[in-house]
Amino acid sequence: MDQKQRSSFTYPPRTNSPQESFNPNFDYSQFNSQNRTESPSPYDTPSQFFNSQPREWDPHALLSNLSFLEQKIHQMQNIVREMIRTNEGQNCNISELTAQRQLLTTDLTSTIIQLISTAGSFLPTIRNSLLSGNAPITQLVSSIPSASSSLSPSTYQPNPSPDYEELTKGWGENGVEGADQIQIEDLDVKEGEDLGQDGDNLPIGSYEVLQLEKEEILAPHTHFCTICGKGFKRDANLRMHMRGHGDEYKSPAALAKPAREPGSQPMPVKRYSCPFVGCKRNKEHKNFQPLKTLLCVKNHYKRSHCEKSYTCSRCNTKKFSVIADLKTHEKHCGRDKWLCSCGTTFSRKDKLFGHVALFQGHTPALPSDEVKGKIEQINDKDDSGGVGYNNGDEYLDMKGGYFSPMANFDSFSFEGLDEFSRTTFDPTESSFSFLRSGSPDFARKDTGN
Amino acid sequence: MCDITAVLSVDLLAQVLDWLHDSRDLKSCRLVSRAFLQAERMHRRAIRPLRLGPLPVLLRRYVGSLLSLDLSSCPSLDDSALSLSIPCPNNLRSVSLSRATGITWRGLEVLVSVCPKIEAIDISHCVGFGDREAAAVAKACWLKELRIDKCLKVTDVGLAKVAVGCSRLEKLGIKWCFEISDIGIDLLVKKCLELRELDISYLKVGNESLRSIASLPKLEDLALVGCEYIDDEGLYFLSNGNSSLQSIDVSRCLNVTSVGLTTLVEGQQRLRKINAGNCSPVLTSTFVSKLCTLGDTLIILKLDKLQISASALEIVGKNCRNLLEIGLSKCNGVTDEGISWLVEGCTHLSTIDLTCCLLVTDKSLFSIAACCRGVKCLRLESCVLISEKGLDQIATCCTDLKEIDLTDCNVNDNALKCLSRCSELLVLKIGLCSGVSDIGLSFIGSNCSKLLELDLYRCTAITDDGLAAISNGCKRMKKLNLCYCNQISDIGLAHLQLEELSDLELRGMVRITSSGITAMAMGCRGLTQLDLKRCYSVDDAGIWALAQYTENLRQLTISYCTVTGLGLCHILGSLRCLQDVKMVHLSWVSIEGFELALRASCGKLKKVKLLGKLQDVLSTELLQNLQARGCRIRWVNKPLVFKG
Repeated sequence: MDQKQRSSFTYPPRTNSPQESFNPNFDYSQFNSQNRTESPSPYDTPSQFFNSQPREWDPHALLSNLSFLEQKIHQMQNIVREMIRTNEGQNCNISELTAQRQLLTTDLTSTIIQLISTAGSFLPTIRNSLLSGNAPITQLVSSIPSASSSLSPSTYQPNPSPDYEELTKGWGENGVEGADQIQIEDLDVKEGEDLGQDGDNLPIGSYEVLQLEKEEILAPHTHFCTICGKGFKRDANLRMHMRGHGDEYKSPAALAKPAREPGSQPMPVKRYSCPFVGCKRNKEHKNFQPLKTLLCVKNHYKRSHCEKSYTCSRCNTKKFSVIADLKTHEKHCGRDKWLCSCGTTFSRKDKLFGHVALFQGHTPALPSDEVKGKIEQINDKDDSGGVGYNNGDEYLDMKGGYFSPMANFDSFSFEGLDEFSRTTFDPTESSFSFLRSGSPDFARKDTGN
Repeated sequence: MCDITAVLSVDLLAQVLDWLHDSRDLKSCRLVSRAFLQAERMHRRAIRPLRLGPLPVLLRRYVGSLLSLDLSSCPSLDDSALSLSIPCPNNLRSVSLSRATGITWRGLEVLVSVCPKIEAIDISHCVGFGDREAAAVAKACWLKELRIDKCLKVTDVGLAKVAVGCSRLEKLGIKWCFEISDIGIDLLVKKCLELRELDISYLKVGNESLRSIASLPKLEDLALVGCEYIDDEGLYFLSNGNSSLQSIDVSRCLNVTSVGLTTLVEGQQRLRKINAGNCSPVLTSTFVSKLCTLGDTLIILKLDKLQISASALEIVGKNCRNLLEIGLSKCNGVTDEGISWLVEGCTHLSTIDLTCCLLVTDKSLFSIAACCRGVKCLRLESCVLISEKGLDQIATCCTDLKEIDLTDCNVNDNALKCLSRCSELLVLKIGLCSGVSDIGLSFIGSNCSKLLELDLYRCTAITDDGLAAISNGCKRMKKLNLCYCNQISDIGLAHLQLEELSDLELRGMVRITSSGITAMAMGCRGLTQLDLKRCYSVDDAGIWALAQYTENLRQLTISYCTVTGLGLCHILGSLRCLQDVKMVHLSWVSIEGFELALRASCGKLKKVKLLGKLQDVLSTELLQNLQARGCRIRWVNKPLVFKG
């Protein structure tokens, strides 16, 4: 299958016909699974191309890739049209609709990834060509808006969903910003010198500022197999994967971590800039603070400039954009939750108390305030006594239960609350009546034991 | 018949009432006429009801003038009773619900809502109280004084509720609220800037709390008794705070040493009262010299269980001339020399505590008698070297002596003869002095008519005649301890006709029987506490007499008495003020007897001591109900014996 898909990518018009891959009556689960394995395949060519010939750039390969992408987009357009039609025509099955959406999502994602990899695979070549003042940049830049225009938000109006909005938004901005970034990147060194004065521990000019595009940052994988196109997060995982492609990848040299050449000069210190203009981590910011590693870039970008799409399944309120953050939160979500009267929750008591100290009138909420409040309301409704705050009913009940087995005893002990009633010892008083009624019974019990 | 109000108007009468302090006098005044009752009604500011029944009537009668209501000794008080009895428009400023374990947060909420002018609330020793109760109290936003001592379930959250709700708080006691931590104290200090008195004794808080507390601008009185996590660093924080502190109590803070106290005294030059008892035992000379810089402002100094040299006492005596009270209990190194130097300077001393200062002899008493003629309270327990000569000198010079503790001092009848010259004597403790006989007591009885408290614990030489002399002479006696005076019989007990006696201990008096108890109960109707433990001959008849005559009885110990289930049921059912009963080893009472008795007492009891084995045989419903009403049961781990 890999083999087939690889060839299909190289000659997209011939094999990837809309009827074949986007049959509306297709079994969706099957399609999805197929699509998943299919999606990495387009990387195949660019990365292979990039790896084998890093210094050159083949416009033909790019063109074929782009035309493949275009075709895919057309397919998607067809799906969407179909969706609009069915939606308007009849009350369609909701599950069917969601399945269609899922299909579209997967398809879109794969398209985006392909586009990113296409663009990303020859970034170094762009820089080279840019420095030499060549035309291809404009070619690339113009190609991106064209892709985005075909995915304009209006197309998705019938089924607005956050996923789509996010994606289309990203794509919409991309056209303009991408061009900007490329131009800015040109001025890297100069700007780095200017900005080095601010805040960073590193001396001026001692590091190089890199700025990745948001698509690169958001790409799930950074390492791709040159043979099958499968993506990996880590280089080591890719090397492990490569073993399956032949014995030549099993040699210790191929499996070893690519060491830096001993003779080469030490790598310049790299720092990263966030592509979001106006962010403090963006190199154009007055108090620019660079990000240290690629991971920092990723997490920063997701946390600060992406939608928080992961919701905690326990509390259903806290949202995160980085899945690791969600997992960290879920570990102690619901445990020792400290709640303020204003509704803010804290994981730690000292944080809550700091908050309470800061804001006038806020108090820590009692753990079960809401529950008790409800009970109280119910009680109040049930209370028909109406004498102020009356919950004597329950007490009376209790008392009844208490003394029901010996009613005469009850009367004995609770009679005569008057202050002056029992000053003298009077044998006719209730105490004796108690004795008479209770004593035979009592004596029997005593001896019986 | 002339109406007295024609001559004496009600407000004039009220002014006369200002001079009456004794409750009995007020009562007889009340009974003169309606006009007097009216005057008394207008005049009365405080009330402390002993029974629940007349509470609504009483409160309605006094509603206009009443400012202070003490419900701490009111048994079976619960939410509904509380909310029904407090009339709505009232001027109540202060309410005490100490040990009112039947109350819940609902009752407190009602209380706070119907008393809009309330400024002081006391809910101490309600061990079940927690954050919810604290939150209810916190709704009284005008509150100035709050005691929540030993509300064991109050945490930082409850304290925060109080701190936020009652920001005008001036006095706060949170002793024994073990759950409160530094975080809570910090918030309290940030929210309640008016605090003047703070008691955080026995809390598990550390130096961080003291760092917070030091920032309080008006703090005058700080009690840190038994805060084991506080050390010198904390006192250093305090010394750098606002110098408004006037009283500090760091007793039993085991990690506080002289170094910390020195820095504290350096920073806080307005200190008037220092209690450093039971701290780290070595007292350095630098601390003593710093103490002298306080000079005349210092009035109370307690250094219990520290090592104090004679020279240190000399320095204190020379510099702190206004000292009124000194505590040197269990101090090592206190000698006659030190005492003489101390009293030479501190001539105003009125209270001198020399408990367990084993080296003190008559010489000390001579110098005290010579210098401190105004001494009112002398505590000389276990000062075995003193004799009647020293006491004679004291009795001659210190005519104002009101309290003297001679427990275990081996004094004899001659010493009592000397002491009987102190006609102002109110408290006399001569426990464990087996040399005291009826002759000595007859001196006391004939001269010390004002005596309020007498401790004759294990004075085994005393017989019925001695007791007769005392009870004939000291008619105002409130507290009497006759434990293990086993020569006293029913005849002696019959002499006890003391109307004001409230506290009587008869433990281990094996010769007394029910007839003696009956005679005593008829004579001492005001009894609130009675200990009959190991009075083996007391049976149901005595118990019945108690139930009949001593209606105010609140605490009762009848362990080892020959009481049957019948008697127990009767007394627990009929005594309406009874709150605390210790009934261990009542081997004549069956399980049903216990069950019935406890049911009869339901709602009133707050503390019960029972044999542990009963835990399994008494019905769980009963025990649950008792505990739901706020009763604590102490189980004694002893075998269950049944002789019935």
